[in-house]
Amino acid sequence: MFIVDDILFQPFISILDAIHTLAVTEMYNIEGIQSDLKENQLLYELGERDQSEYESRKAELEAELETAELAHEQLDNKNIQIRQ
Amino acid sequence: MTDDALYVYGVIENEDLDLDIEGVNGAERAYTVSYQSLAAVVSDIDTVEPERSDENVQCHDEVLQTILEHDGGRTVVPMSFGMGFKNKRTLKNVLRNARPVFSRTLREIDGMVELGLKVLTDEDADVDTDEIVAEVEERFDRISVNVVENQLFSDRLVINRSYLVERADREAFNEAVGEFEDDHDELLVQYTGPWAPYNFVDIEITAQR
Repeated sequence: MFIVDDILFQPFISILDAIHTLAVTEMYNIEGIQSDLKENQLLYELGERDQSEYESRKAELEAELETAELAHEQLDNKNIQIRQ
Repeated sequence: MTDDALYVYGVIENEDLDLDIEGVNGAERAYTVSYQSLAAVVSDIDTVEPERSDENVQCHDEVLQTILEHDGGRTVVPMSFGMGFKNKRTLKNVLRNARPVFSRTLREIDGMVELGLKVLTDEDADVDTDEIVAEVEERFDRISVNVVENQLFSDRLVINRSYLVERADREAFNEAVGEFEDDHDELLVQYTGPWAPYNFVDIEITAQR
């Protein structure tokens, strides 16, 4: 019985795991947020964004980055819960 | 906490320097620690792992730029941010072990600086980016010794390049940038430098620090 369960359940876990990984990667795109931070800095330096606009966008992106890094850290630690 | 560690900005040919300048983690001076033909530019610091804050990164760059330009200028092999060493002995060990590679790199980049060029389009502008790239190559490649293409981190970026340029050619490069800007009102140009040639050296310090 255990063997049957194991065989049946294993692909299911893998698919869920893969979907979750994809979702986390898509939702919390660290590289994308880092690019946005660089773009924000560049546009400020070129005078396209004023200081308050630059600072509020920077704070927003830094918060997003922190969340994204935490999500990826949890993913790396395999802290993924799969309910039966 | 005592400042018993050393933070390294870069390596130059052996020379005694001692500058009052703001360094990483609030350091108030940068000076040289020599080993044979080399000298590391360092500050006294209270940790071997300083925080990678905007302020610290800016201080790291500013010390390197000052060393690069100070008193007629000199060639600098830059370290990436974060190179802390426990004491002079460990730093000198690294200089001893890596002396051939530092010496070779100093020869390869002798008398050269790095200049950065970013070109952006105006928002919603309709421009032929291939044409801009070709024009930039035609104008700037001949004045530079080497070029590195950096990440285009914004949809508006058409060019993000670092150029390795002889000090003697800097004026010609400045003029070429000015002419390019004059010919392209529709573009935004960010021209930075001179920098120590970060993008043209590749030395990895793996020894015990």
